[in-house]
Amino acid sequence: MSEMHHDHELEMKKALRPKIERDNKYWLSLEQWNNDPEFAKAAETEFLSSPLREKDGEEGGWARREFLKLMGASIAMASAGCIRRPVQKIVPYNKQPEEVTLGLANYYSSAYMEGSEGLAVLIKTREGRPIKIEANPGHPFSISGLNIRSQASLLNLYDPERLKGPQRNLFNEKKTNSQVIDVKWEDLDKKVVEQLKKGDVVILTGAISSPATRAVIGDFAQGFKAKHVVWDAISNEDVLAGQKASYGDEVIPAYRFDKAKMIVSIDADFLGTWISPTAFTNQFVEGRKDIKNMNRLVSFDSNYSLTGANADIRFKIKPSQQLDVVMGLLHEIIVKKGASGYAGNGSVKAALAPFADVAAKLGFDAEIFAKVAADLLANRGQSVVVAGGLQAMTEKSKELQVAVNFLNSVLDNEGKTVDAKGGNSAVKGSYADLISLVQDMKNGKVKTLIVHRVNPGFVLPEELGFADAAKKVEMVLYTGDRIDETGVFADYIVPDNHALESWNDAELANGVYTICQPAIRPMYDTRSFQLSLMTWAYLANQGPARLREYETFYDYLRVFWKSDIMPKVGKGKDFEDFWLETLQKGYAGDISKGSSARSFKVEAFTAIKPAAAASGYELVLYPTSQMGDGSLNNVAWLHELPDPITKIVWDNYVMVSLATAEKHQLKEGNVIELTVGEKKIELPIHIQPGLHDDVLAIAVGYGRTRVGKVGNGIGQNAFALASFKDGKMIFAGQKAEFKKLHKKYELACTQGHHVMEGRNIVAEATLKDYNKKKDAGIHRHHTWSIWSGHEYSGHKWGMAVDLHTCTGCSSCVIACQSENNVPVVGKRYVLEGREMHWLRIDRYYTGNPADAEAVFQPILCQHCDNAPCETVCPVLATVHSDEGLNDMVYNRCVGTRYCANNCPYKVRRFNWFNYAKLIEKPLHMALNPSVGVRTRGVMEKCTFCVQRIHDAKTLARNEKRQLKDGDVKTACQTACPAGGIVFGDLNDPNSAVAKIFKTEERGYALLEEWHAKPSVRYLSKIRNNDKETTGGHDNGHGTAKQGEHS
Amino acid sequence: MMMKRSPLVLGNKTLKDVSDDICAPVERFPSKGWVGLFLGAKTLLLFYIAILASVVGIGIGLLGVNSPVFWGTMIVTFVFWIGIGHAGTLISAVLFLFRQKWRTSVARTAEAMTVFAVMTAGLFPLLHTGRPWLDYWLFPYPNQRGPLWVNFRSPLLWDVFAVSTYATVSMVFWYIGLVPDFATIKDRAKNKLRRTLYGALSLGWRGTARNWSHYEMVYLILAGLSTPLVLSVHTIVSFDFAVSNLPGWHTTIFPPYFVAGAIFSGFAMVVTLMTLVRIGFKEFQNYVTLDHMEVMNKIIMTTGMLVGYAYASEFFIAWYSGNQYERFVFVNRAFGPYGWSYWMMVTCNVLIPQLFWFKKMRRSIPVMFVVSIFVNIGMWFERFVITVTSLHRDFLPSSWGMYAWSWFDTGVLVGSFGMFLTLFLLYLRLFPAVSIAEVKPVLHVGYDEKGGH
Repeated sequence: MSEMHHDHELEMKKALRPKIERDNKYWLSLEQWNNDPEFAKAAETEFLSSPLREKDGEEGGWARREFLKLMGASIAMASAGCIRRPVQKIVPYNKQPEEVTLGLANYYSSAYMEGSEGLAVLIKTREGRPIKIEANPGHPFSISGLNIRSQASLLNLYDPERLKGPQRNLFNEKKTNSQVIDVKWEDLDKKVVEQLKKGDVVILTGAISSPATRAVIGDFAQGFKAKHVVWDAISNEDVLAGQKASYGDEVIPAYRFDKAKMIVSIDADFLGTWISPTAFTNQFVEGRKDIKNMNRLVSFDSNYSLTGANADIRFKIKPSQQLDVVMGLLHEIIVKKGASGYAGNGSVKAALAPFADVAAKLGFDAEIFAKVAADLLANRGQSVVVAGGLQAMTEKSKELQVAVNFLNSVLDNEGKTVDAKGGNSAVKGSYADLISLVQDMKNGKVKTLIVHRVNPGFVLPEELGFADAAKKVEMVLYTGDRIDETGVFADYIVPDNHALESWNDAELANGVYTICQPAIRPMYDTRSFQLSLMTWAYLANQGPARLREYETFYDYLRVFWKSDIMPKVGKGKDFEDFWLETLQKGYAGDISKGSSARSFKVEAFTAIKPAAAASGYELVLYPTSQMGDGSLNNVAWLHELPDPITKIVWDNYVMVSLATAEKHQLKEGNVIELTVGEKKIELPIHIQPGLHDDVLAIAVGYGRTRVGKVGNGIGQNAFALASFKDGKMIFAGQKAEFKKLHKKYELACTQGHHVMEGRNIVAEATLKDYNKKKDAGIHRHHTWSIWSGHEYSGHKWGMAVDLHTCTGCSSCVIACQSENNVPVVGKRYVLEGREMHWLRIDRYYTGNPADAEAVFQPILCQHCDNAPCETVCPVLATVHSDEGLNDMVYNRCVGTRYCANNCPYKVRRFNWFNYAKLIEKPLHMALNPSVGVRTRGVMEKCTFCVQRIHDAKTLARNEKRQLKDGDVKTACQTACPAGGIVFGDLNDPNSAVAKIFKTEERGYALLEEWHAKPSVRYLSKIRNNDKETTGGHDNGHGTAKQGEHS
Repeated sequence: MMMKRSPLVLGNKTLKDVSDDICAPVERFPSKGWVGLFLGAKTLLLFYIAILASVVGIGIGLLGVNSPVFWGTMIVTFVFWIGIGHAGTLISAVLFLFRQKWRTSVARTAEAMTVFAVMTAGLFPLLHTGRPWLDYWLFPYPNQRGPLWVNFRSPLLWDVFAVSTYATVSMVFWYIGLVPDFATIKDRAKNKLRRTLYGALSLGWRGTARNWSHYEMVYLILAGLSTPLVLSVHTIVSFDFAVSNLPGWHTTIFPPYFVAGAIFSGFAMVVTLMTLVRIGFKEFQNYVTLDHMEVMNKIIMTTGMLVGYAYASEFFIAWYSGNQYERFVFVNRAFGPYGWSYWMMVTCNVLIPQLFWFKKMRRSIPVMFVVSIFVNIGMWFERFVITVTSLHRDFLPSSWGMYAWSWFDTGVLVGSFGMFLTLFLLYLRLFPAVSIAEVKPVLHVGYDEKGGH
């Protein structure tokens, strides 16, 4: 309680800080207020016990009673409008009660934006603090589900190391020292405005999907003659460049994977990291649900990506072969099959001539490769070819994109599955622009640099000289929430609010507008970036009127929406109605559609020259879906989330193939020294099945040095290995060498063994098998018992998990962690086998290890009817509920751990230490109050989100109705972008889950023969390749041995 | 012609000699050897207390237990010490009922070993829980928490009853046997403190015929009560494993296999201790003779082979069951990452005791000492193999793992010897280590030296 008090106190102090007033009259009187002691005294004694200003600059020290009084006073004032505190309404989600009721959650619609991905979200708040980020199910952009980082960004809000207010670095002449002091906003603003007036201002930001923020920046740029440079660490400029060369316009098109029957990806990890993976997963799965007519995904993969893992047919390549692959497919289609208008085009043919036998050159099975081309052709207009991502940013990235565009045009996909209109026009980040900015900085052409939410100090390789350039800038302003790798160069840190603390808007895809509502008042003395710009414009009296005129960004936003957005998506409506409706729904408008095929500029294609055959090791830098560009690197959830493919936590590493490891006698965790040109890096290796023998792959986003206690020094910064060449950043295909060092490093892997040992764990079949026999790949057992079992007269909860649609993205793991207060234990204890995730995703490799395929299986408590854990607990701490739940009574648990030994699924987690006690404040505010925090020495595990079951029951009772299907959704279910998890009442014959249990032939119980009778059914995975398996039940399950990692 | 039976007590002892010899360690000033050993053991005990205090204070996570190996050193060492206890009860109760007179001179110490081993073992199930301060919840007694009751289906609960019964009965049995001897020491005492203390311990024993009559009857009844415990305790301990559904644990052979193993390890420990006692207290060599040792070595060899048979039959059944998980566990046991511990177990428990086929080996004190140490090591590893290798790789390969041995595990294992040895050394110093009252009747007093009348 004292903590809450403390937080409120900070909020209060923030609220009580003198505001910059816009009205000159008020401004004068406020000044008078501040300066005239008599007036102050009068104000203090006469009325309102002076909540109007801070008594002393720093420490307020409000007593509780005083605080309550003030809170009452400020509410009174706000409503009376006697001081100019803005009245800003935030409206809870329309299904929720509007007022905050203790114990009831409120949901606020908002959006999460990071680089090219934007997600419509609901912020779940309890008693005024955000505790979880959920998907906004109604939103046209993402039908269901969330990604990992959007959910984990919650912890960023409560990061103990966030800056609490503006700061100044007292630099010496050469900017070599670091002496950071707190400053007041007024002083900061004064200094900044002085500086801004000198001109040569540059604003550096990432892609900004918010139209209003773009407008603010635009207005500001206009007022100060400032330049706006957009740059993202993980950019899609290859796609932009390719689009421009091919069609003339620089856009990221919308890809419609749901409309594609045949998908070919050349290193575009669209299920994991490319452009907007959550929406893509939605679409991809949409095309797979009808199994008989499911799509086919062919992946050419130069690291082992999530997309490659989900591919029906996966080819391993190295980056220098990407272009060959596309050209080879074009050759098959245009030259061999003559199936295009271009077949008669001599220059096209000439350009394709060198790629006649790509399959042989790259070591593919020629037949299968030809079949890929044939399948593409057979699905003209219903296929899509994509390439991109850091893995595809080679020297030839533009040629690759042009070839891909050409292929899409040849296949008539342009305008159908590749839609230029519906993309996100905001994604424009460019390394070239940043590099030229750095040049300008070096040349003294930049007097003021405002860096917003990007971290060039971390990302840019040293030789590009950002550090030196930054020192040449007279004043660097940084809006980050900590003094990080870029913050160290800043003269002033102008801390931006957290996204959950600010108003904003977003255009996640062209035509869909979302409003982001603040879900909590700013916790610290921070100010939104937009308001900072507005304040400076006001103080300098420069810029368009609308920039100077409003006191808050909220006002600006509303006016902007009235003038700019409503005419597009809310024509003829009353603005207030439109505004409220948008807040409640979370969005307005729909994705722009109906673009027609653009004509392809053939000359861009015919200019493509084959590259000389490359030999030797090639470097692949890739982002991971948990760490991204590393901006959320101080969030422990992300570090402890097992990598979807390797299942390694708390590190990055060099992935090498089995053959490479064997050749150099490398074992898992051997440290190597990797040389790329002049640069060297020391990292442990991870032996990755299914990797191309010439590939050395490293994840970016690790190796931060100034992000905070959690992320500092975890892994190495692989961005440093990228190099800038011919106007673009090269992330893949650089020549690399390595030598083995005599050092060993322990990588913490959460999975003990990586093949199924011939056990029927993940049932898998090919489409051909499935067409013959729906439950192909499932080994059924005849089980019987002399005991009739429990009786469930009311509800009987059950869950179905579809392994066919599960992509292994791990979003559910974070959702579960956030919902259920699952602690993080750190690398050392993961190594000791003490990770706490209630829901884990097992990944097994199948087939020949050199070309291993992967399958995923989310494992959670199976809530067995014959639960082995229940019988062995001596104190009845784990008992069977009359609704089929396997309840865990934490308070009764003595901690014998017998239940965990007896659990065949090993889903039980034990509190070896007092983890809850280690939660640093204010991170405890992220805890879900509906779920108890477990003490040391007790067992815990998945509860089927029993708190949600209770909430739904209470709601139904209050509404005097029966609980209906869909009222209870588990946290994992709501987060799943594939819709692969179905939860409900098995006793309700019409519930979705009961139907699956009854009718779905792909359904099977894990370890059925053990007769624990789990309440979870898995649905078998179907792979749409042309293979057919014959014989026993364990077909499709590799029995190949593979090294162990724990 | 009747075979001449070698005497149970050597050196033509008179009745007084017996009292003098046996009381000597209690009455004389402790030797340097004893003091040295005691200080060592006591230091180890203090270290042990520190280790246990940290585990209770900070968390069971200090040990190597993890997921999937939720039980580790503490359970392994618990079963190890419980097993050791069995020899004592077997010697003192079962052999008593069978009128095996040779038992008299080793029974007291074997039983003391039992009591101390059970005490050492008893700590583990209590301390290995996550919240040891709530251990009393494992006992079914009327309470105000609901009332919350215990789960009688849980083998762990049966274990609570089995071990606590065993500890109580063996302690009472041991104490009753000590009563006449305490009285002897009291009678011989030269100072008042001694007389008072031993007087109190001897419960007012006066050696009357009535006393003896009651004593014999109580002793007989207690022997009768203890005898089934020899079988039941380790049977129930084995249920902790056998009643679960984990391959490698879920085995019907466990009860007899565990009992045989317990007797095996118990006798080995008796031999270890007795060889040391014979060295430390020379006068005891006449009471604990080579004949005694040889008999025990024979039992060690026999039970060793029983245990070996169990190992083999487990493999056979795993194969014969056709159950892939069961088969895997046993292949993994012998050839997986913990294969070394399996072969260590087989070597120590099955191969090394084969030396006792040779009479010379059976009667050689250094040989039997070394063999008994190996058997102790082997039996610790047997429990390690059962507990850890079954858990570390079960059904879903994704959750396979290894035990994360930490130095706290070492501390717990080594420290437990500190506790046991401290108790045992105190016992040697304070209690008559051979039963005076029972040895006297088996003396050949009044018989002709040549066996004639």
